[in-house]
Amino acid sequence: MPRWKLFYRVMMRPLFREPVRLGLMVLAVGLGVAVVLAIELAGNAAAGSFHSSMESLAGDNDLEVVAWGGVPEALMGTLATLPYPLRISPRMEDFAVDTRTRETVPLIGLDLIAEGSRYASETDASNVNSKYKATLEKSVRDLENPESVWISASLGKRTGERISLLINDRVLDCVVRGVFPSTSGNEHAILMDIAGAQRALNRFGRVDRILIKLPANSTVEDWQKKLSSVLPPGVEVRLEGTGTEENRKMLAAFRWNLRLLSYIALVVGAFLIYSTISVSVVRRRSEIGIVRALGAERRDVLAAFLGEAACLGLAGALMGLPLGRIMAGGAVKLMAATVESLYVSSRPGAIALTPYSLALALLIGVGMAVVSALSPAREAMQVSPVDAMAQGRREYVARAHKGRDLAIAAVLAGLAALAAQMPAFRGKPFFGYLAAVLLIAAAAYAMPALVNFISRTAAGVLGKLFGVEAMLASRSLAASLRRTSVLVGALATAVAMMVSVGIMVGSFRQTVVSWMNHQLPADLYLRPAGNAASDRHPTISMELVETIAKLPGVAAVDRLRAYEISYDGMPATLASADLRVLRAYRESDFFSGRPTGEVLAELRGKNNIIVSEPFTYKHKVNTGDTITLSLGEARASFQIVDIYYDYASERGYILMDRDVLLKYLPDETPTNLAVFLVPDAKVAEVRKAIQEVAAGHRILIFSDRDLRTEAVRIFDRTFAITYALEAVAVVVGVMGIAGALIALVIDRRRELGLLRFLGASSGQIRKMILVEAGLLGLLANLAGFVLGYFLSLILVFVINKQSFGWTIRFHWPVAVLLGALTVVYAATLVSGLYPAWVAVRLNPLEVIHEE
Amino acid sequence: MAILSLQNVSKEYTSDRQSVRALDGVTLDVAGGEFVALVGRSGCGKSTLLHLAGVMDFPTSGTVGIEGQPTSDLSDAQQTLLRREKIGFVFQSFQLLHTLTVQENVELPLQLAGKAGARELAIERLQWVELDGLGARYPLQLSGGQMQRVAIARALAHSPRILLADEPTGNLDTTTGGMILELLLRLTREQKTATIVATHSLEATSVCDTLVKLRDGRVEEVTRR
Amino acid sequence: MRSRRLLFVFLLAWLPGAMAQYKTALPGYHYEFPRDHYNHEDFQTEWWYTTGNLVAADGRHYGYELTFFRQGVDRDPSKTGSWDIQDFYLAHLALSDLDGGRFYHAERTNRAGPGLAGIDGKEKRIWNGNWEIRWNAEEEALNAVGENVLLQFSLHSEKPPVIHGENGVSQKAAGAGRASHYISFTRLSTKGTISLAGKSVGVHGTSWMDHEFFTHSLGAEQVGWDWMSVQLEDDTELMLYQFRRKDGSTDPFSSGTYVNAQGKPVHLTAEDFQLVPTGETWTSGVTGANYPVAWSMEIPKLGLKLRATTRLKSQELASGNNIAPSYWEGAIAIAGTRGGASVQGAGYLEMTGYARTMEMGR
Repeated sequence: MPRWKLFYRVMMRPLFREPVRLGLMVLAVGLGVAVVLAIELAGNAAAGSFHSSMESLAGDNDLEVVAWGGVPEALMGTLATLPYPLRISPRMEDFAVDTRTRETVPLIGLDLIAEGSRYASETDASNVNSKYKATLEKSVRDLENPESVWISASLGKRTGERISLLINDRVLDCVVRGVFPSTSGNEHAILMDIAGAQRALNRFGRVDRILIKLPANSTVEDWQKKLSSVLPPGVEVRLEGTGTEENRKMLAAFRWNLRLLSYIALVVGAFLIYSTISVSVVRRRSEIGIVRALGAERRDVLAAFLGEAACLGLAGALMGLPLGRIMAGGAVKLMAATVESLYVSSRPGAIALTPYSLALALLIGVGMAVVSALSPAREAMQVSPVDAMAQGRREYVARAHKGRDLAIAAVLAGLAALAAQMPAFRGKPFFGYLAAVLLIAAAAYAMPALVNFISRTAAGVLGKLFGVEAMLASRSLAASLRRTSVLVGALATAVAMMVSVGIMVGSFRQTVVSWMNHQLPADLYLRPAGNAASDRHPTISMELVETIAKLPGVAAVDRLRAYEISYDGMPATLASADLRVLRAYRESDFFSGRPTGEVLAELRGKNNIIVSEPFTYKHKVNTGDTITLSLGEARASFQIVDIYYDYASERGYILMDRDVLLKYLPDETPTNLAVFLVPDAKVAEVRKAIQEVAAGHRILIFSDRDLRTEAVRIFDRTFAITYALEAVAVVVGVMGIAGALIALVIDRRRELGLLRFLGASSGQIRKMILVEAGLLGLLANLAGFVLGYFLSLILVFVINKQSFGWTIRFHWPVAVLLGALTVVYAATLVSGLYPAWVAVRLNPLEVIHEE
Repeated sequence: MAILSLQNVSKEYTSDRQSVRALDGVTLDVAGGEFVALVGRSGCGKSTLLHLAGVMDFPTSGTVGIEGQPTSDLSDAQQTLLRREKIGFVFQSFQLLHTLTVQENVELPLQLAGKAGARELAIERLQWVELDGLGARYPLQLSGGQMQRVAIARALAHSPRILLADEPTGNLDTTTGGMILELLLRLTREQKTATIVATHSLEATSVCDTLVKLRDGRVEEVTRR
Repeated sequence: MRSRRLLFVFLLAWLPGAMAQYKTALPGYHYEFPRDHYNHEDFQTEWWYTTGNLVAADGRHYGYELTFFRQGVDRDPSKTGSWDIQDFYLAHLALSDLDGGRFYHAERTNRAGPGLAGIDGKEKRIWNGNWEIRWNAEEEALNAVGENVLLQFSLHSEKPPVIHGENGVSQKAAGAGRASHYISFTRLSTKGTISLAGKSVGVHGTSWMDHEFFTHSLGAEQVGWDWMSVQLEDDTELMLYQFRRKDGSTDPFSSGTYVNAQGKPVHLTAEDFQLVPTGETWTSGVTGANYPVAWSMEIPKLGLKLRATTRLKSQELASGNNIAPSYWEGAIAIAGTRGGASVQGAGYLEMTGYARTMEMGR
């Protein structure tokens, strides 16, 4: 115990004498922890719930039968009459939009007769779904009404009320026949009898899934084989929930990247902990000496400083927990929007602070702090009693081995360049991340030399430009080289991230914008109303398509049809288009560089396809390869004749001729229309005419320009979260600068007092501190910018390419970068205000005599 | 005429609800070229007197006048201006900035005051303290005596009318300390500064013009030679 | 005439007024086989009902029931979707392990859907999921897969089908059309396999199959019925049913059929027989219903005096919910005299309306 008391008095108490600085440090760690936690929590919530109500209402089934484009429903009869004790349940699964709240809600069609009566005869009330089953049981009585729906309580309607649903391009006025409790607070669902669902969705002859419950104690694999043998080749028997798993897998890269981005703030925080503990060690050299002279062992000293760091980390983590929870609320919205527009329909789940997330926060907070403190704590351990108690103690100037460090930096940078050349490992750009980490480490090692060079060079220039205060400021920074380097390193890392992500996003945006200029040549685009998502493909009624095609001014209508499929264990989109129309108008860029017309001509009427770049990347296929697709009940081979650039979705796209797809999946309704006008037609007039003929349908009409604006808006929304992450990292860095400047002021209070004796005005003192802040900011911006440029190369050409498979053309987003750097610079200046105020308020009479 | 004039000066410090009277009715005039040695035990008010004389602090009562100008009604900016023009400080622990060269240390007051020709003046001051040629060195490369000379050169950089030294020999051995006192005396005479040296050193009493003994904040004895 | 229970209580309630779309059972119906073994979609209700008493090689006794119901819901010709509901198809499966004292039963409900359930005269098949009747020449195959039970029987009729009632209709209440067309195979020699919880045993014995189709509902005063099939060792069979009325009396529309050894049916009216409980009862632990599980019957014009008892009292098909009613349907043993000579036999007994009579009144 005495040791702890000693530890407290010597190590902890001094910390509390600088509450502002202590607060800043804790806040910095807390922010770092909070961001990591927020992304983790938000990621779980956003990814944890694809079609979740579809899954939770799927019941306790073991297998599912799926086929892309739908399972031919005759197979229901085949399966139901097999002489095995199986439970077979068909599902229609789609989405409807509650026209009141505009929320997209899973729409589930099930066999209410069979399932309802089955549940009625099962008496197990302990089952979680018993209330839902009870609803089904009652529902059997209301089947005569085709507009009958049963809804989850979360939709806020009562039995007997009406609910108006947008399904595909039509609004259906439904009667709520029953309400069942939502299994979790936000799991909306709308149930219909399968007959009503098929009619509402205008999809007949196929069901989306057939769920199978196996007898107890049976081997799933054996059943899978047994059942596959009686089903057509294109139909797959897989574990129930495989689709959810595939979606999780698809999201993995996205979550990985976000998670890593979230660690930047933590890395910046680590720099600051390192800096703080280093300062502690320097300042308390004599205390260390005294404690050692009084009999403390080296490891006690080590433990004391690690303890100090751990306390900071713990305090930060504790602060980070609630903060992370709050941030997660915002993050989940941003992430869910991204997930929905880029990947898959998902309704964010509840944010759950699990014991795991608590442990994660504590672990990263304390762990990061302790690891960052290791080096300075070891240094403290080396302090000998004699050393520290020597008379005439001077400011301990940590030796910075500039030359050696520079050599290490060069080696690390070389390794980074090597790592950047390595291919992805298990689909994840591990080496890309490694390269980025190595580069940051290289920058950290190069920092002392840079700071020394620049601040010394700057001293003269600045002295001439800004007077003696600037000269003093730069000298002082150069003098405490190590401390300064670490600080600059911290902020520079944050700035570098900002710059690199800024360049990456800017390049991506520019690439997308110029791609769109090639991609969207039609005059008007139509899709059913409701929120867009890349895995939902609501359809447009055929009669409307025909009416539109006959409108005056319309030259051609391109009917596009998309299906959600799974290829090789990954979700993908299968689309078909009217190639007659396409060939006449569309301009598109292909890997081969061939003219669009030539490529598309190869698709017509043949089992030839073109695939998007992300598809080739995910599935390691190339032009000339043949892939086999399950379409309906058939399996068919298709040759990839070319690859096209696609930035609209991260999921893979397969495009084929409409006529070819209709052979396999004879559903003529399109999901999108592209309307081409005759040369002298007025877009506004045709648009109005379409609106008139589509009065009974809910159709969104976009002009070419609308679509572009919308795409850019979605793009920006997608990357909003990365901006937020960078901002937090920068805030942490700037807070670190403020905290460090306060420390610097306190450590140099004697000098500052002296300057007053020597005739310095308080204004001059303030100016000096502000110049230091500005100089730190300048150094960090400069170093960060250079580092950021190199990191952006890794991001654009290695990490992005290996994670998502997009080819991005490098582009300098000059305005964005200039703006961001200016803001950071201004922020560092602002961060100097408080330390400057502290410096001015120092009483020179007191400080001049302090030792 | 006295450059520095203290008339019935008292100074009280209030800390932790306790009032401490550091100076009590001190009256002292120091003329140009006069070397005053201020002696007394630790805590007798020597430093306080120097701070009041150096316009780093104000008396609770009485007047401190510098060339006839009372300091009490000056603003912070005016005090700073006064210090820049008229006051030079020398400290026991030298108080040099280790990040600056000797030359730069000496230039510092001039630069802070925004005066031109700092470089030439500093070179001249270093000649005064017989350190010419060492301007490019850093303080830590010098001996204690040399450092104190640099400090004296710095204190005189802006040709102050008043030179205040607080235990300038406290960190030095006797021989070196003696040399520093000699230097201070010489410069007092040459520059016609009103010099007050607070000291324990007996040497000082032998070189001074006036010996002021302080005891518990009061002037116990004034010996003029 | 059996198991109207489900149909009246559960199904008809949904579609009031739908009867106008259907034909009713009227005298003079021209029967034609095998056509009339299959579907009659012009009639709203139709069922195929097989029960039997079997014995295994090891001497253990079993009783079984496999029933297929069809209930017309809608004959709207515009409803052409494969999932649109024209009929409900229900099926019941029960197995009585008479010596083991165990009783298994299961039920299922389907629409025709894409081949989920149906009756197909061309394929000679009646099925509901993987429960089916399938004719192959003279042999009738019965297959049913339950969670723990598997039945695989081959049935061969010893006698031609019997048409109950008079002039082709079995009158159930006063008024034209309040009747059914009622056909029975009264003696089906049966052999096959029973699997219980994975264990298979070979069995043989005798089954009885009813096929009935009609469009009508119970009279308001009728609260339930007791039905019995009897297969005597002298190669004759007997079917009796009587309605119980609200006031406790027996309905005059109760009737029966006697089939002699040559397969010739003799119609029995309510006046021709007496069917009374002997007093022994069994109370269901699930529904609380009190069933008279032993009966005596007397048919003076045939000289028959018989007693029906059961080896397993708990043969109640208790429904776990409030949609389908519960009823007792089980294997019985018959002993008695014909003109003084001792006669033995086996049969099946059905008792409805003992549990939750208020629903029966619908």
